[in-house]
Amino acid sequence: MEKLLKIADFLLEAAKADGADCAQCTVLESETREFNVDGGDFSLMRTLFDRYISLTVLKDHRPGSVVVNRFDEASLLSAARDCVAAAESAEPDEAREFAPGPADESFTLGAPEPDTHALFSRTAELMKDVADRHPKLLMEQLIAAHTRTKKVYRNTNGVTYRTLSGEYGVSLTYSAHDGDDSTSMYGGSLSLTDLSRPFIEGSLIDREMAEVEAQLGAEPVNGKFTGTALFAPGCLAGDVFGQVVENFASDTPLIDGTSLWKDKLGEKVADERITLSISPRDPRIVGGQRYTGEGYPAEDFDVIRDGVLTGFRLSQYAANKTGLPRSGSTSSVLIAKPGDTPLADIIAGIENGVYLMRFSGGHPSANGEFSGVAKNGFLIENGKLGKPLTETMISGNLSDMLLHLRAVSRETLEDGSTVMPYMAFDGVTVSGK
Amino acid sequence: MLSDILTPQKALFPDGAHTELRGQLNRTRRVVLLAGNLIQNTRSDVSGVSARVYKNGVYGFSSMAEYSPEAAQAVLKAAAENALFMDEHVRPGKPQLPPVGSSMTAPEAALADGAQSLYTDFARAVDDRVRSRYKNVVSRRIVVYEDSMEKLLRVSQGADFHIAAPRSYCYVFLTAETPAGIPVELFTVAGGSGVFADNFSDPAAMDVLTDQLYDELMAKREGVYADAGEKTVILGGMMTGMLSHEAVGHTVEADIVLGGSVAAHNLGKRVASDKVTMTDFAHTAFGAPCPLPVYADDEGTPARDVTLIRDGILTGYMNSRASGLHYGMEPRGNARAWLFSDEPLIRMRNTAIHPGTDRLEDMIASVDDGYLLLRSGNGQADTTGEFMFGVTMGYEIKRGKLGRALLDTTVSGVAFEMLKTVDMVSDTVTWASSGFCGKKQPMSVGMGGPALRCRITIGGR
Repeated sequence: MEKLLKIADFLLEAAKADGADCAQCTVLESETREFNVDGGDFSLMRTLFDRYISLTVLKDHRPGSVVVNRFDEASLLSAARDCVAAAESAEPDEAREFAPGPADESFTLGAPEPDTHALFSRTAELMKDVADRHPKLLMEQLIAAHTRTKKVYRNTNGVTYRTLSGEYGVSLTYSAHDGDDSTSMYGGSLSLTDLSRPFIEGSLIDREMAEVEAQLGAEPVNGKFTGTALFAPGCLAGDVFGQVVENFASDTPLIDGTSLWKDKLGEKVADERITLSISPRDPRIVGGQRYTGEGYPAEDFDVIRDGVLTGFRLSQYAANKTGLPRSGSTSSVLIAKPGDTPLADIIAGIENGVYLMRFSGGHPSANGEFSGVAKNGFLIENGKLGKPLTETMISGNLSDMLLHLRAVSRETLEDGSTVMPYMAFDGVTVSGK
Repeated sequence: MLSDILTPQKALFPDGAHTELRGQLNRTRRVVLLAGNLIQNTRSDVSGVSARVYKNGVYGFSSMAEYSPEAAQAVLKAAAENALFMDEHVRPGKPQLPPVGSSMTAPEAALADGAQSLYTDFARAVDDRVRSRYKNVVSRRIVVYEDSMEKLLRVSQGADFHIAAPRSYCYVFLTAETPAGIPVELFTVAGGSGVFADNFSDPAAMDVLTDQLYDELMAKREGVYADAGEKTVILGGMMTGMLSHEAVGHTVEADIVLGGSVAAHNLGKRVASDKVTMTDFAHTAFGAPCPLPVYADDEGTPARDVTLIRDGILTGYMNSRASGLHYGMEPRGNARAWLFSDEPLIRMRNTAIHPGTDRLEDMIASVDDGYLLLRSGNGQADTTGEFMFGVTMGYEIKRGKLGRALLDTTVSGVAFEMLKTVDMVSDTVTWASSGFCGKKQPMSVGMGGPALRCRITIGGR
């Protein structure tokens, strides 16, 4: 860590010597060990020795940034010079600033030391478990890796953070096959700090594989109807709440004024059963965020609390631009409060709708309109999961949908990156052939 | 420029295995102006060396963020150890890779670097022009970027090379409001292969594109929702390019075929109407340079075209050396890596449907009730060939004439079914090359095609 601090100091001093008024930098070293499975067979083992330096300077309120990955003195001097030159090419913008000091914190996160042989064994075990439990699944790709990272953040205001972290990551892409019939591909992932349990027992992995196997023989919905969309947790996190935050509650739509929620802080924007937080420090999250890109300590906060908009995800820069408060974090780690209804009861209460594990659609429009294909899904009719679906589209409006919540499950996905229940929303248009 | 410190390391290549040793520099310059605010002003230079060793059907790989003889020796050793670990634990027992050609010709490697003011000044000038010319815009975003790859490859068998591949672009995003106050957005992009200074000398040259964009945005803000259902549509060339890449191209990448894509069961079968021929071009297409020429891949295979569909029949897959061995097909230079720390994956290069003989005006005149779909924001496809594209600009066609503009919508279908409905193909190919293809790693790719008349499912309300 001391080596990284020295590099950071050298770089900050060089930037100031070149004319920067203030500066911040991140210096990182990492080692990754990774196993790959392709088309159902082990294919590759990788060992990566990586480095990264990011430097941002302000000169006369003009910002410039460089990214390099060489630690030698000549490269560092060149990076500082290029960064200041980049700033000199910019227009002044007084909204730019770095976190004030002093601050000095050290973090140790996850499992910094890898057990490469155990990682291989768990990966091989997963392949066997899949073959035994889900014989119709074909693993298009499986990547199992451990990354150990040493990282230093330092700025010229006297803020220093040191992070030593390590985590195991497993990502899966698979589909089910029976003769010429096949399902849509599905992907799952896990972030872990230890290898104490078989991967197939992680979060919803086994359940998701069983659901995908049951999707063989898919058919389109007949015609078009307005009904209920039941989102699986991974889909809810990325394609619903992730897009809600991007579209309505983050830097870009608030700076350019296109957010539908720009004047709704403190107002009801969702059903009162919805509480959505950005919580990178939650103990169920692996890694997360301990400080923001501008050097402020990261804190968990609610975007929506009991249906009321309580916070935007804003950097200090966006806060200065908009007059809105900076958020505790700029992370993308989303956690939604679960309900107390079993998933089976939610399905039993749906007359007409679809259950989807994945959504294939474009970015929603600035006004929240979305449409796309319901993937890895089933029709729900009269309280029962029906036929698996293909070529079935759903459409609606994100901001309207949040106000038409039908139910929240007590079951959650906890994969190390999010904690998310199932949610069902009414008023969604479903169309097929 | 990367100096050749790798050739002497060939003496260290392990016996009885195929070895690749690659030095690489990725250079990125990026400036973003949002409503006149400079929200990004970044230069990135990332370099290093990697080695990959193939032994009995499995690979070992290692990379280091340092470009030196010592780093090259270290990654060669680690890659060989990883290959050995995999061979001992997996025992795949596959044969050695068949040899490929070693002869290739590429332009001389050279990457001229510009000062950051080259990018910031251009972005500011375009922003000033946009702000002054277009009154009914509520927000604007200008993105100027250049990314370049320089690669030095040494292989135990195949083509050694030193190549550079720069590309540079200027995006303009405009947002207006509908009469009801709802924001609608469109973007356009200029640029292609080459460094920024060569592609962009005069900000006023962007006016032609941005004038057209503004006209379309003004039409779109008065636009209507599409009528949902299966319709007769004309896909513009950019949409056809997206279709070629996302819905067909990915399913015929041999690693995706091995993972169970729909193409596994369709080789030699009809997957499109006989008006459809589709090729993944290496460096030259229809008598002109491709948008992003590729002369050899990162396994040392000289690049040649791959015909994927000929007259509606699926004729081939894109291969790496290992997948070529598996399928008994010849690899043609599709295995490419994005960073020094990335292993080569099977990637498209410049994928396009071939032009036909129809004129676009005649195609529009032939549609009684349908849509002309021109711009797409994004697209996704499944291994089943089921696809979805966002449509950001389109028009109604009523009794052979263009009608009202459309608000954002989505089209979807199953590629090998939808392509069978193609019954008219225009005589002009439109290319796009500014985006990134995502597949474990990003990759720069070209995609293109003519306008197609077909049946497709369109979303609406």
